[in-house]
Amino acid sequence: MVKFFQHTFAYDHPWENVTYAFWLRYPNPFASHVVCADVIDRSINDDGMLKTTRLVLKKGKLPKWFPDQFVKSSEAYVIEESLVDPKNMKMVTRTRNLNHVRVMQVEETQTFTPHPVNPEMTSVRTEARIISKFGWGLASRIELFGESNFANNAAKARQGMKHILQMIREKHLIRERMSFMQAQTA
Amino acid sequence: MSSSIGAECTELKQKYDTCFNKWYSEKFLKGDTTPECEDLFKDYKACVMTQVGRKKLPRTQSIKPNTRSSISQVALKEKQIDTLLADARKEAPFPPPSQSSSNSSS
Repeated sequence: MVKFFQHTFAYDHPWENVTYAFWLRYPNPFASHVVCADVIDRSINDDGMLKTTRLVLKKGKLPKWFPDQFVKSSEAYVIEESLVDPKNMKMVTRTRNLNHVRVMQVEETQTFTPHPVNPEMTSVRTEARIISKFGWGLASRIELFGESNFANNAAKARQGMKHILQMIREKHLIRERMSFMQAQTA
Repeated sequence: MSSSIGAECTELKQKYDTCFNKWYSEKFLKGDTTPECEDLFKDYKACVMTQVGRKKLPRTQSIKPNTRSSISQVALKEKQIDTLLADARKEAPFPPPSQSSSNSSS
């Protein structure tokens, strides 16, 4: 069995800032489980799109009922691939775990586009697939756990993005005010 | 800024990130797609790949540890992160754009 998750959401920030926040989002107060994040590859393709691969290490938590002799380390390596198309204002990201895949594989795709009605806002569509190939009749229980955990974590991730977006907005305001003041005194 | 997988790479990462963030927000998003920060990235990536090659992970066991059958499977096999990464990257994450969207002129 596979669990599917779908969610649509809008940030009250323009597309440029949301994609920028995507790069800046670690660390943030809502991502204490993220140990480190590294860019493994980055290039610009022939269509002028930015392609990036990042490796992120996260600390996980196992449910109490999980037979913990199977998992020696609750650290999960996550690969995050993304494509930013500045011309068409579209960013697509795909994230999945590299280890513990037999216990559970979570694959998440996010698409960021300007909001169709209000261009000062950004729409995000999240799609995820949660699969467990674990035996002992635990697969469906693991998938259920993964599903509810995914929803909670996605909400936390949005909190983190909003935190960074607010910082970008404030920095921008300060910069504007500074240049206004400089213009006044010049 | 987040730290790197290897403590010794964090400084290189932060130098690169600072350069990239500036380029991304001030150039790339404004339509200038000429890459910058490439030398900084080369140094940073070299450091990370060395660290990644050193990280080993115990594989998830699929067999109860105290069953005596097939000891080779019971033994924890270590797999390096770089191998996992290489395997994962064989799969193309984004399908190529369809014909219709690539035909911009008509």
